[in-house]
Amino acid sequence: MSIQRRRFVAAVGAGALAGAAGCLGGTPVSVGSSSSAGAGDADASDDGPGVAGETLTLTTTTSTYDTGLLDAIHPDFEEMYGVSVDAVAQGTGAALETARNGDCDVVMVHARGLEDEFMRNGYGVNRRDLMFNDFVIVGPTDDPAGIEGMGSATEALTAIADAEAAFVSRGDNSGTHTKERNLWEAAGTDPGGDWYQEIGGGMGEALNNANQQGAYTLSDRGTFISQRSEIGLTVLVQGPIEDGPEVLANPYGVMAVNPGVHDDANYDLAMAYIGWVTSPGVQEMISEYESDGEQLFFPEAVSENPDFQQYVPDGWNGGE
Amino acid sequence: MALDPAVDLLPALLDSPFREGYVSSIVYVSLYVSVIAVSLSTLVSVPVAIVMGFVDFRGKQFVKSVINTGMGFPSVVVGLLVLFAVSNQGPLGSLELIFTKEAMIMSQFVLATPPITAISLAAVTGVEGNVRDAARVLGGTRLDVALVVIKEARYGIATAVLAGFGRAISEVGSVLIVGGNITSSDGISKTRTLTTAVQLEARQGRYETAMVLGAVLVAIVLLVNAVVVRLGDTGGMGR
Amino acid sequence: MIRLSNVSHTYGDGPVLEDLSMSVDPGEVLAIIGPSGVGKTTLLRVLALFVRPSSGTTELDGRAVWSVGESERLALRRRIGMVFQEASLFDASVVRNVEYGLRVRESWRERLRSQFRSVLGSNGTSEAVEEALEVVDLDDSLEQDADSLSGGEAQRVSFARALAYDPKYLMLDEPTSDLDPRNTGLIEDAIGTARERGIGVVVATHDMHQAERIADRVGVLLGDGFSEIGPTERVFEDPTDDRTRKFISGELVY
Repeated sequence: MSIQRRRFVAAVGAGALAGAAGCLGGTPVSVGSSSSAGAGDADASDDGPGVAGETLTLTTTTSTYDTGLLDAIHPDFEEMYGVSVDAVAQGTGAALETARNGDCDVVMVHARGLEDEFMRNGYGVNRRDLMFNDFVIVGPTDDPAGIEGMGSATEALTAIADAEAAFVSRGDNSGTHTKERNLWEAAGTDPGGDWYQEIGGGMGEALNNANQQGAYTLSDRGTFISQRSEIGLTVLVQGPIEDGPEVLANPYGVMAVNPGVHDDANYDLAMAYIGWVTSPGVQEMISEYESDGEQLFFPEAVSENPDFQQYVPDGWNGGE
Repeated sequence: MALDPAVDLLPALLDSPFREGYVSSIVYVSLYVSVIAVSLSTLVSVPVAIVMGFVDFRGKQFVKSVINTGMGFPSVVVGLLVLFAVSNQGPLGSLELIFTKEAMIMSQFVLATPPITAISLAAVTGVEGNVRDAARVLGGTRLDVALVVIKEARYGIATAVLAGFGRAISEVGSVLIVGGNITSSDGISKTRTLTTAVQLEARQGRYETAMVLGAVLVAIVLLVNAVVVRLGDTGGMGR
Repeated sequence: MIRLSNVSHTYGDGPVLEDLSMSVDPGEVLAIIGPSGVGKTTLLRVLALFVRPSSGTTELDGRAVWSVGESERLALRRRIGMVFQEASLFDASVVRNVEYGLRVRESWRERLRSQFRSVLGSNGTSEAVEEALEVVDLDDSLEQDADSLSGGEAQRVSFARALAYDPKYLMLDEPTSDLDPRNTGLIEDAIGTARERGIGVVVATHDMHQAERIADRVGVLLGDGFSEIGPTERVFEDPTDDRTRKFISGELVY
């Protein structure tokens, strides 16, 4: 984030850092280490080669943060670049808003519609598909609306609405909340009334709330798994990971804040982060991360097929 | 620094589900932010209270009502205002204070100043006019008289500072917004306080660990109260 | 000498002092008598350079007090001590109270140093403080808390507090009106001591017998300035003013 700090570090240890970056070898951004190898224009040495000592500010969603995934993988990045990562857990909406204001460098969220809007408005660049898990509809074991095993999420929601069975909504403009609203819309129902409660809180709070009053809720699988030992809710409608409907897929994307809009965003480090987090090694770490004995996230960044759609907003026709 | 042993003990006490150094680091951040914020508030509030107590000026009633409104100001609103100020787009954006302890200090300063001023003002105006006159008639300058008033009102001012400290350290809304509740990946708090840690645990439904952290918070508030009351008893008798 | 010339003072609704002239010399005791509410307190506050009168001049040792600069006025003010009807002690020990006047006359550096010494507990009590407390017969309660004193003791500490920094003039506003005979006697003795030291004492009192006992001169304040001011014996034995005579003989009741 800090330009001053960056300059300071550059002034103090340009040479040493160039050496250090060189040792790391093969990293996506060993920026200035090549300057000694002849690229050597004056600018390169003035700006300094190193990112070491800098701080990358990442805004992300509570679902990635609270599962502990980031704490598990970030030390690798921090060690590799000699930097630190400040991960701020917010709802998807807040995470993108923070990025819009230029208060962070990179965003990791899970609401494609909001991400697309963010990119269309020019705030984000270099979007990559990162990983996915899925949403599940959970509820009390006695299942008053009788939705267990339904193959359609919208049918299940319709059944809940018809039965006026208690349903807890995040109500916080998060990725999960956005998904939930899209599902209601697809089901052709405008939920309202005493049975539908927006709590304006995180996933864990929503699960607890639903648990206490025997209500249904939409949860990402990761948070549900990490919390299921403490609550009495059960999965009633599976997501695509367990052969449920594709509509419950929960893909995560990562984007850098556009340095053309916010010139003090740490674009170098943001791109280093995106390169790192989508690299085969880290994707492997993500797939190996488990909670309560289960895999939480499925890597999606490494593929032999070209997937251009990940770079551009949905429906982008190249002529905008 | 008497707190150090206690802070070191805490993780052991908890036999914790947390990583080593986690709890002590959030205790440190909580105290660091609140103590600095409340110290700055006190430096501003007490002179303001004294001036308000003794000097009549135009708009005094207005200032009073601003202070009284400030006492009830919701912390999240303060958080939002400070966020707008320190955000990259805000007037202080170039200082890059968002998601730092300094931003948290700013918001707690805004939160703590009104109660400290209001309670100090009540304490200062409670000092008898006779005592002020005595200081003056004995040859005191205006500054001497102000010092006498502070000394006479010391219990009330200590109460004010404690009230401000209580509000600052137990406040969750604004520090969450401007601080971001950040720990580094080795589990050492950067901008996570006890309150935002409690909030995080509660968000994940871990109410028991949330309770443990809450108990630590209460213990700290009690400890600080005891220390301040003790200081008020022994010190303050100077001159 | 403190000299008031044609002093009038208005406070609130109407005039409290009107066209009043008088003077006090070092080494004399001047008693101001008169019914309550007649402006004795205001007069003492004017004499203590505490109140600037609405009109007229206040001179201290030849200097027109309200025409000089702030810092000179402070220096002039510091030649005067005052004791109020209520003791008005600070919430601190007896010795802290009595040494206050000495402390504020020190430089900040000296004050810090003595503060530091007192924290270390090596701060001896100054001679002036002990002497002042001896005058009021309280030299054995140095470390007592002011709020644990009886009313009489508190007033005596208050007297010692004004005496400790060796003022040239001392204003006493009804110093014994709330006190028992023993404490009254001790204060009256202390007034005598002050006089012997060459201090000019002005004491407002509604007790005519006290005025007769301690004063060299008496001023009778009956509403609009002095009806009579002169040597004690003459004022009491042979007042020239009719209203003064009535007041002294108790016929004039307010």
